[in-house]
Amino acid sequence: MTTEKAPEATIPVLGANKSGWGVEDMPNPKGVGLIQARWDLCIGCGACEMACSMFHYGDINRELARIRIYRYHVPIPKSVQNICCQCAAEERECEKACPLDPPVIHYDKEKFHMVVDADRCLGYKCGKCRKACPASVPCFYPPEQNCALVCDLCERDGVRKPQCVEVCPTYALEYMAPQFPQHLERIHPDDKAAYLAKRLYPLSKDRIQQTPEEIWGE
Amino acid sequence: MTEKKYQMLEINLTTGEKRVVDVTADMRKYIGGRGLGAKLMWERVPVDTDPLAPENILYFGVGPLTGTLGTIVNVSAKSPLTLRGGTSNMNGHLGIELIYAGYNGGLLLTGKAPKPSYIYIHNDKVEIRDASHLWGKNNLAAQQALREELHKGLEDQNFRIATIGPAGEHLVRNAGISHDFYHHAARMGMGAVMGSKNIKGIAVRGTGSPAYANPAKLFALITRFHHDARLKKAQDRRWGHNISIARRYYDTTEGVKNKQLGWDPICDQTNSLVLEQQYKVWNDGCNMCHLGCKVPSMRRDPPLGPTIAELRHDNVGGWDANCMLPGFDVQVYLSTLLDELGMDNEDVSGVVAWMMECYQRGLVSQDDLDGIDLTWGNLEAVCKLVKKIAYREGIGNILADGLKLAPPQIGKGTEKYAITGKGVAITSYELRGSMQDAVDMAVVPVGELHGARGAARWMACDALTVCGFMIRPLHEVFGWDNVGLEFLPAAAGWEVTPQEWHDMVQRMRLMERCNCIREGYIPERDDMIPDRFFEETIYSKYGEPKILNREEFLAFRKKTYLSYELNPQGIPTRESLIKLGMEFVIPEMEKRLGQW
Repeated sequence: MTTEKAPEATIPVLGANKSGWGVEDMPNPKGVGLIQARWDLCIGCGACEMACSMFHYGDINRELARIRIYRYHVPIPKSVQNICCQCAAEERECEKACPLDPPVIHYDKEKFHMVVDADRCLGYKCGKCRKACPASVPCFYPPEQNCALVCDLCERDGVRKPQCVEVCPTYALEYMAPQFPQHLERIHPDDKAAYLAKRLYPLSKDRIQQTPEEIWGE
Repeated sequence: MTEKKYQMLEINLTTGEKRVVDVTADMRKYIGGRGLGAKLMWERVPVDTDPLAPENILYFGVGPLTGTLGTIVNVSAKSPLTLRGGTSNMNGHLGIELIYAGYNGGLLLTGKAPKPSYIYIHNDKVEIRDASHLWGKNNLAAQQALREELHKGLEDQNFRIATIGPAGEHLVRNAGISHDFYHHAARMGMGAVMGSKNIKGIAVRGTGSPAYANPAKLFALITRFHHDARLKKAQDRRWGHNISIARRYYDTTEGVKNKQLGWDPICDQTNSLVLEQQYKVWNDGCNMCHLGCKVPSMRRDPPLGPTIAELRHDNVGGWDANCMLPGFDVQVYLSTLLDELGMDNEDVSGVVAWMMECYQRGLVSQDDLDGIDLTWGNLEAVCKLVKKIAYREGIGNILADGLKLAPPQIGKGTEKYAITGKGVAITSYELRGSMQDAVDMAVVPVGELHGARGAARWMACDALTVCGFMIRPLHEVFGWDNVGLEFLPAAAGWEVTPQEWHDMVQRMRLMERCNCIREGYIPERDDMIPDRFFEETIYSKYGEPKILNREEFLAFRKKTYLSYELNPQGIPTRESLIKLGMEFVIPEMEKRLGQW
């Protein structure tokens, strides 16, 4: 009778310690970081919105989320995410647009993410940061949260652990150090959908097939 | 823990009156969705009502778990196809918008609008608006037009829209409701009911809060489920649910040539790997589902031109080998055509396959079919016939009545070849391959819907408004019996015991059964499958003979009735009705059954 030989200690076992999901096996960035959205992979489930509102407000409510799913029809359904990409100082349109001094919406240089001083924010009626951002990222949810809602990378006591990245079932969100200038990710969801729609060429927007009469005649 | 309040929006289309009804007590008993739909039909639709009359209701049902696990909306109305209680599901994001708009008990439409209209719901702003500019448009065009109109001045795209196509407007009895173009509540003629109410579409947007009873606990459950189930059934993300067709051909459980054959060489043209590599565009999914099994497929080449469609077992199974129309190019074209016209692919393919067999046997001539040469695999003929059905032109006017009402109108022995159960076409299933499938489908009181729609798990899912494809992952992660016990306290604040949970599911199942019995359903007579399955032997690819034995079928059916906690005749026992607090159905039942 043969007994199974125990594997030698030196042979690494792939995935032995892997217990989680998402990209948590990869080390989180130490310095500047952002959440990169891979919109081609987004299936529009809304789990990221749920995780975001749960972390920040302890409730399940997508309207309180700082990441938003936009569900388009191009003409078939496609969902894309919209989230702050923590732009570099020169490109930070929201900070420049804020009418208050110092700006309510600004970058925390120690913790490497955007911050909003909720008490001072003028709220939905002002909305200048939202208008200035090319991707319309800052959201408002009056009257409960009448201040700009912007991604803070789920930073709490100096530890950043983005919950949307943890929860995404298709690995469509990735927490990483910037690979290229962040503001290039700052694409308006309408444009994201438009880019994806080009894959469907030559379909038209409101008709996606020829009628039988066009093909075979009356 | 405080129990959540459930509010249903009721719109009387005749008078334009809108009111919010508290349905908390009924939800607690019948869960919601399909269960509450059956209860509302019992209460509000008089016996023997014409399903296309204003007295019928149309209920867009949501349930306590809408928006937590793969969201569906269950549509209930008396079915014009079977003339009894009807139910149909559509996935997508409509349910979550109803929840966010504050109508977590669903949307009930009664009466009939005086002119073509659509319903606009934006939180508590509810309007019945004129839809004369949308009337007559195909599904996609209508949805795009409505979307453009509604999004004016809005910053997002989150209005969710459901419409009917020309088939629904022409009261074709197997018309469906289309939501976001490729989610369809197609079966059982729900689109015809919507058309009979002069409602072209529904547009919903909510910005409230779902206000679950215990969000933190619910979040923990959902993330645990997503984490543990992330690989379960995740293959569906590659091919969608087209994959089961190929396996079913090999199991002899997928129909070939209107069930005349068990195998044909064209079956091998359905290869999901080809679909994935050649046709797939991307994935999209439904609310809070980790699978994202919607895989639109695209073709570009002439002669059919560019077309895009979502291929699933349900919508293409009936066309594929059943009408001898193989190949994804054809499927993508046909599926889109039916979606545009707003008809149930599965049911219409059953009607067309039936006509094809009658034509093959010479029971109907080319003249009867208005000059259409309806040979097997003739795509052009099928497309023309389908359009005739959608607009009720010529022969289409008869065929649009579905497989319960059309065969007697045509006569000449054609009834024999209609493969139907209770008026609902059995197309993408071949029952001789599996006795379990045959019985599971036969004992569904509303009609032979796909799969075991009468079994406790499926019906519980339809009532909780959780997608049926969640059953297996849910079972593997939590164990099925624990799903209600874990999720209901967190989502709704109902502290249910195992017995209570069992009773809730059983109550909604009996409600649906009683509702059908009241309309003349006799389980022993109606829970049958066509004789062909008992009389003609078919052969699998490897020459294995397949046929069902009638006695075995009846014995199995009896066993299934007992497992459903019914009496051996398939009727709920008096004791169980009293035990579950449903005494109010007994007088009506006695009118049909006497002292049973």
